Amino acid sequence: MAVHFPVITGMGIISAAGFGMEENWRAIAAGRSGLKHLTLFQSPRYGQIPVGEIRQDLAGLGAPSRGSRSDKLGWLAAREAVASAKINFQDCGDRSGVLLGTSVGGSFDSEQFLETLIKRGKMRARPTRFHECSSTVDLIADEFGLFGPSTAVATACSSSALAIAMAAEMIMSGEADVMLAGGADSLSRMTWGGFHSLLLVDSEGCRPFDMNRAGMSLGEGAAILILESEEFARKRGAKILARLAGWGASCDAHHATAPHPQGTGAAAAMQAALRRAALEPSAIDYINAHGTGTRDNDLAEANALKTIFKNRVPPFSSTKGFFGHALGASGAIEAVVCVEALRRQELPPNPGFEKIDPAIGLEPITTLRPAPLAHVMSNSFGFGGNNAVLIFSKPETPARTRAPHPVEVAVDGLGVIGPGAVAVQEIRPPLPPGKVSVHSCGVLSDAALLNPNQRRRLSRLQQMALITARRSHASDPSQRVAVAIGTGLGCLEDAGAFIENLISKDEREPMPARFPNSVHNAAAAQVAIDLGARGMNSAPTAAEITFEIALWQGICQLATDEADRALVGAADELDKYLLGIGQRWGAWNEKIKPGEGAVVASLSRAEKTVASLARVTAVKLGRYRRPFDAEREADWIASAVDLKDVGVILSGAKGFPIMDALYEAVASALSSRAGRKLEHQTYKQHCGEFHSASAFGFSVAMGLARQKKCGVLLYTLAPRGGKAVCCIQP
Amino acid sequence: MNISMNELKANIIESLRLQDITPEKIDDDAPLFGTGLGLDSIDALELVVMLERDYGIVIKDIAEGRPAFQSVRTLADFIAVKRPK
Repeated sequence: MAVHFPVITGMGIISAAGFGMEENWRAIAAGRSGLKHLTLFQSPRYGQIPVGEIRQDLAGLGAPSRGSRSDKLGWLAAREAVASAKINFQDCGDRSGVLLGTSVGGSFDSEQFLETLIKRGKMRARPTRFHECSSTVDLIADEFGLFGPSTAVATACSSSALAIAMAAEMIMSGEADVMLAGGADSLSRMTWGGFHSLLLVDSEGCRPFDMNRAGMSLGEGAAILILESEEFARKRGAKILARLAGWGASCDAHHATAPHPQGTGAAAAMQAALRRAALEPSAIDYINAHGTGTRDNDLAEANALKTIFKNRVPPFSSTKGFFGHALGASGAIEAVVCVEALRRQELPPNPGFEKIDPAIGLEPITTLRPAPLAHVMSNSFGFGGNNAVLIFSKPETPARTRAPHPVEVAVDGLGVIGPGAVAVQEIRPPLPPGKVSVHSCGVLSDAALLNPNQRRRLSRLQQMALITARRSHASDPSQRVAVAIGTGLGCLEDAGAFIENLISKDEREPMPARFPNSVHNAAAAQVAIDLGARGMNSAPTAAEITFEIALWQGICQLATDEADRALVGAADELDKYLLGIGQRWGAWNEKIKPGEGAVVASLSRAEKTVASLARVTAVKLGRYRRPFDAEREADWIASAVDLKDVGVILSGAKGFPIMDALYEAVASALSSRAGRKLEHQTYKQHCGEFHSASAFGFSVAMGLARQKKCGVLLYTLAPRGGKAVCCIQP
Repeated sequence: MNISMNELKANIIESLRLQDITPEKIDDDAPLFGTGLGLDSIDALELVVMLERDYGIVIKDIAEGRPAFQSVRTLADFIAVKRPK
């Protein structure tokens, strides 16, 4: 069977150091940092501290008027990447997608909603339209006409490195020929106030690996790579800039914000990337370090480097002094720096470094210099101990990346927290008085599973995820466990309380314990800490198809033999702002009620499973075209699922007439293909409407498959374009 | 200036949202971090916020606070010395 090796054929970048690859490399070559003081928003306490802010007018650079600041940054980087790859997506059919990492998504814009509410007592929901982390994905997919698998992934500072790794997996597994992969993150009051509240910001600008380093500098930006399968790129005569030779991910399973002091998780991710690339450590010619400049991160990373490379650590540098730490976008920014370094055969320097730290005992590159480079490594480590490492190789090097092997997947356990009863929740002032009927999970009685002091800092969403994860399987310390628990909106209550507090108290008395819960991987990481799960740890976020993305990602970990067990799931919580904004938009009515809940399923290879509850025989992801064509959709589903085994279609229909008509049309088109009437069932009447609802659908599908002894198709459409289908067999 | 140990303990409990713990249960000299109360680095940051809010002491580098965070007694001594008069 042909192996689809991923190669890079185009790149785009926007950062505080410049707009476009040329301008950014000129800044790097000249050693010119993009750090200046903050102008984007008022910061009473920290306004004079250096930050990597993009000061150009984004509209002037050609960004669309629609979208959040992150969306616009992502769009600008995507435009450059597409132009440099000289690719026409009309030639790709449904086989091109987009995969982006972000940490805050549209938070900067949604903060204006809270500011108006707090300071002027007015409810203006408009700025929250592009709040979701998946918004940039939708915008770019629509702009370039991409109909393949697409999602965002939000694992804090490793987000876009993990996104690039996932995109490579999409290509290797044959799901797509071309992927736009990277990340976008804008500055926000939340992260600005948050990192200051953690005392992790260096007031003089970051000095990675330096003896006197005192923290990071925040930044913002976006970078996008065009990833293609090698045969597709060669066939269309594209210029190949580099190979993506290897990638690896791991979790420290240690602490919500602090890295493991020995860097064991970081070392495991580097090891995994080397394994995937089939390279020895000695083959690596340069490392772009995560190197944030905090005392703990740099020391832990140096320890990890020594673990892997012993006393022969290759030349390395942190380039964060040029851009600031662009959080979810930094992995992608550093990936394009690595590819450009390979292309130019030059080593980028480490601004801010002056004096060697005896505790580290390593000295980074201090000035740009030429060097023969064949293989380079890029490290990204995030909150929660979520680590991702990429290896890029010169195009002339032979392709050796290990390919995945198809696996039969069994579900051997399931944890569900669904709504108990329909509760009426009063919306508290200052929102307009009113009542919304919700599908709430009520008081988490299972919270008794967690001891009170363990629970005190956990959000409702984390508690739900933790309880379902514990229930889903019997822990076996000898197993390698990967975790993919997605969320549409994350820990809303903690993020909301944190920003509300910053705005109302002008950055005084912040809430450092709430800030770490503002990242979407807060639940997945907490599960890993609780269970000691040190495999890949991911938090995909893709609106209504979030769960299916997590499912796909978990199966990948089994197919590449990076895990013995994958815990996959999704979780979302209700909060007052979500209820209020939804009410303002008329999203809720008698039939459509907001919901919340968590589901975690435990997956193993079928041949190794003793007690299989169900099998997952297909997962396919994509985007639908407009106008919606039910026949085309039925073809797409039939290409992934053998209809002769299917008895029931379980859809995400919810009582919203336009969407429900689409589901019904596809169900009847599938019936005519199957030559018999397939039963069409729905589940949202039980759980309510929320982004993780299809995870609840998955648990219903398992029940139906077992009860009716037939295959069940779980089919989900997201209003902004995503679609997913999976097949569950008894 | 002396500060009330009980008041300080109550402030700690409230700031850190400690559950099932009353001021009487906290020993003046027991370690706050690691063993004892078993606090971690995020709790230390909450204590930094508490010091500023309740006692007007601003800490910009966590290393400054570290000697003070040994026990309730060391914290009380630190506050007595650093508190703006």
